[in-house]
Amino acid sequence: MNQKKWLFLICGVLLLAGVIGSILVLRRPRTSQVEIVQDGRVLYSFDLSSEEDQTIDVEYEGRVNRIEIRDHQIHVLEADCPDQVCVNMGWLDSAAPIVCLPNHLVIQFTEGSGSLDAVAG
Amino acid sequence: MKTRRLTELAMLTAVALIIFVIELQIPNPFPIPGVKLGLANIITVYAVYHYRPGEVMMVVFVRVFLGALFGGVMSTLIYSLAGSIFCLAGMIPLSRVIEEKYIWLSSILGAVLHNIGQITAAVLVTQTLGVFAYLPFLLVSGCLAGAFTGICAQLILKRFSGKAYH
Ligand SMILES: [Zn+2]
Repeated sequence: MNQKKWLFLICGVLLLAGVIGSILVLRRPRTSQVEIVQDGRVLYSFDLSSEEDQTIDVEYEGRVNRIEIRDHQIHVLEADCPDQVCVNMGWLDSAAPIVCLPNHLVIQFTEGSGSLDAVAG
Repeated sequence: MKTRRLTELAMLTAVALIIFVIELQIPNPFPIPGVKLGLANIITVYAVYHYRPGEVMMVVFVRVFLGALFGGVMSTLIYSLAGSIFCLAGMIPLSRVIEEKYIWLSSILGAVLHNIGQITAAVLVTQTLGVFAYLPFLLVSGCLAGAFTGICAQLILKRFSGKAYH
């Protein structure tokens, strides 16, 4: 194969992997187990299907993310972060987690029950 | 360094900086910085094929720092920096292998590497592997944006080809 074919193949594989991966990530996970993670530490872990409506405040360096659980769904209600991306992401409904990078906060579905220790070093 | 070359590099940096700051005005719906056209990449791929590695790094890193400063987004500097390091680490060797007429393909690879660098920085900041779930979106956006900026770079090269360049 010449160089051009190789390059096309590599780029094609990257694009295809991206498309397939996106479809997989966008599916709603079967689990209703959710965890709130900050700096790699699991702060809260609960089963959305049995959790009462409530709001949880998580603080990072004086900035607060107000997380709301309502009707067995979870989202960031309001946040002190500059970009407001976490608020705009809406309800957690896929394997793509809600992320607030400025406040090092992640809300994600997790397999199994209970809290996972040391998700990442 | 000859004055002419220095002037060219300064101009490339300035143009990349303008493009970068203008593009900052377009909001990104994804939490991971990186899902965007990355129009400043046009200058990077062009520079990779026409200047020495050290010169390319100068153009890119000066743009990244000044871009964060002028754009008022110092907090996202770490992500642009990680992206640029990944991108250059791949593109500089690749430009030796991939002919310039396929510049749009090496632009795709550069954009994808840039996005992988950014998401890696996001995973390190949050210390949460789950953030990698955004990688597929970044692969798709990297391929599309990289192809677009690569084609732009190719058009610019065509324009320059008739001039007294080299
Ligand atoms: Zn936020």
